[in-house]
Amino acid sequence: MNTILQVAEQRRGDIPILSLEGRMDSTTSPDAEVQLNRLIEGGDRCIVVDFSGLDYISSAGLRVLLAGQKKLKQSGGAMLLAALRPEIQKVFDIAGFNRLFPIYPTLDEALGARPAR
Amino acid sequence: MLSEPISEFIVLFQMMCVVVVFAYLVTRTRFYNEILDGIFSWKNQLLLVLVFGIVSIYGSMSGVEIMGAPLNIRDIGPMVAGFVGGPLVGMGAGLIGAGYRMSMGGFSMVACSIATVLSGLLAGLIFLANRRQIPGVVLGVAAAIIIEGIHMGLVILISRPLSEAVTLVSDVAFPMIAANAAGIFIFGCITVDLQNKKKTAGERDRYQGELQRKNAELYIAREIQESFLPASLPSLPGYTLAAESRPAREVGGDFYDVLASPGGRVGLVIADVSDKGVPAALFMALSTTVMRASAAWHQRPRDAICDANALITRESSSGMFVTLFFCILDPGAGTITYVNAGHNPPLLVRNDGTIVSLSMTGIALGVDTEQTYEERSVDLGPGDMLVLYTDGVTEAEDASHQQFGDERLASLVRRERLRPAGEILAAIQAGVSAHTKAMPQYDDMTLVVLKVGS
Repeated sequence: MNTILQVAEQRRGDIPILSLEGRMDSTTSPDAEVQLNRLIEGGDRCIVVDFSGLDYISSAGLRVLLAGQKKLKQSGGAMLLAALRPEIQKVFDIAGFNRLFPIYPTLDEALGARPAR
Repeated sequence: MLSEPISEFIVLFQMMCVVVVFAYLVTRTRFYNEILDGIFSWKNQLLLVLVFGIVSIYGSMSGVEIMGAPLNIRDIGPMVAGFVGGPLVGMGAGLIGAGYRMSMGGFSMVACSIATVLSGLLAGLIFLANRRQIPGVVLGVAAAIIIEGIHMGLVILISRPLSEAVTLVSDVAFPMIAANAAGIFIFGCITVDLQNKKKTAGERDRYQGELQRKNAELYIAREIQESFLPASLPSLPGYTLAAESRPAREVGGDFYDVLASPGGRVGLVIADVSDKGVPAALFMALSTTVMRASAAWHQRPRDAICDANALITRESSSGMFVTLFFCILDPGAGTITYVNAGHNPPLLVRNDGTIVSLSMTGIALGVDTEQTYEERSVDLGPGDMLVLYTDGVTEAEDASHQQFGDERLASLVRRERLRPAGEILAAIQAGVSAHTKAMPQYDDMTLVVLKVGS
């Protein structure tokens, strides 16, 4: 377990929520990737990621999210991002990733927007 | 005066301490270690016999009366010798101990002497039965208990008068078995500890060897990667150009390039592969080559980037992407036409100090093969300057996680704008170093500075 990044998992209904807390960089991203892959391989097609506790994300972190998004898209699923802090949003904007992911200001809005089954 | 049981216990404890010290010392001798490693030279075997024969003699000499019964640890020496060196060595040590015992006399002298030799022999047989491996602590202690039990049986079997023999054994059997088993336990633990230490040291040496080999490979990889960057910058009449790239590790994911285009035009590229280290470096090698080929093939930056993106995305399976800024400078017309694919917006610093950010015109490469890119143009006037950088510069942190930041970079380049490109680049690097102080470089840093005029 890493003290720099905490990845917590919970469920609301059938939607898994991954909460990221701390810093997501090249040393800590692999932990998050493992958790994300576990959910995807377990069959989850809609995953919400809660960014409210994340202080920093590097390109390594973006790579993990992008890889997850690509996998989910193959099975018709999606990754929804919620509660990005301004400095994190800026990183997404510069790289153009704000167009790749649906981004919501709060967790509840992200949960409310999940595609209907 | 301490009561008898306590003073007897102290004497017993002292005997055990001698065993501990002796065990510690002997496990640091070369001959013992060679025996453990299986080097059974005659010299080693002889030393084993002599050393543990002396231990056996000590066992007889240090015999005490506990609760009125004679207690000794004579059998420990031959047992350890047998466990470690086999039946011949065990018996040898046993014979030395037995010889001394016989010289002490007493009604149990024959039984005890035979038992001492037998203990070395039996321990040695266990060594053989254990496939010539020293037995573990549990097996050793169990064997010691049985062997001492046999010793007691021999006393009853051989010594006469029988009544005295039975009394002796009933008084002394339990403490004898316990004391000798304890001594074997001590030897066993110290030897196992020693073997673990040697195994750990061996593993550490192996790992260090592998680490050296890998470092050597990375060093070579670094040299190869440096050869991908332009060996020298072309001279552009009317402009000064400076560039430098510093990977955070041996190899990195940043690159820059200066490409000659037909008609005297010059292409400038700066790019940053996601993450850093070996994976980023491999992806960087792919991306530089693709970029060079695309730029040579297409007139317009937009088309070059579209093509490069399609090729790079095909190769990107694990979410790897590249942020990239590509511009073509027309020196005669004094314009640059650019595409910014998700990269940190370069700073166009005007002669009068105003700063224009050349912001994103499309998403990073490697994400979507169908991605389209826009291109934009700006004019360059005398004294204007273009600063290209990667996020290793703006995100460089000091000890309290404060980033160097866009504002600091902007005010620094504004302040230094009257100097030639090379000095401006050096000033930026100095500014970042001053900010991070002693913190190690965290991310790859790349800078390209183009200045109009001298």
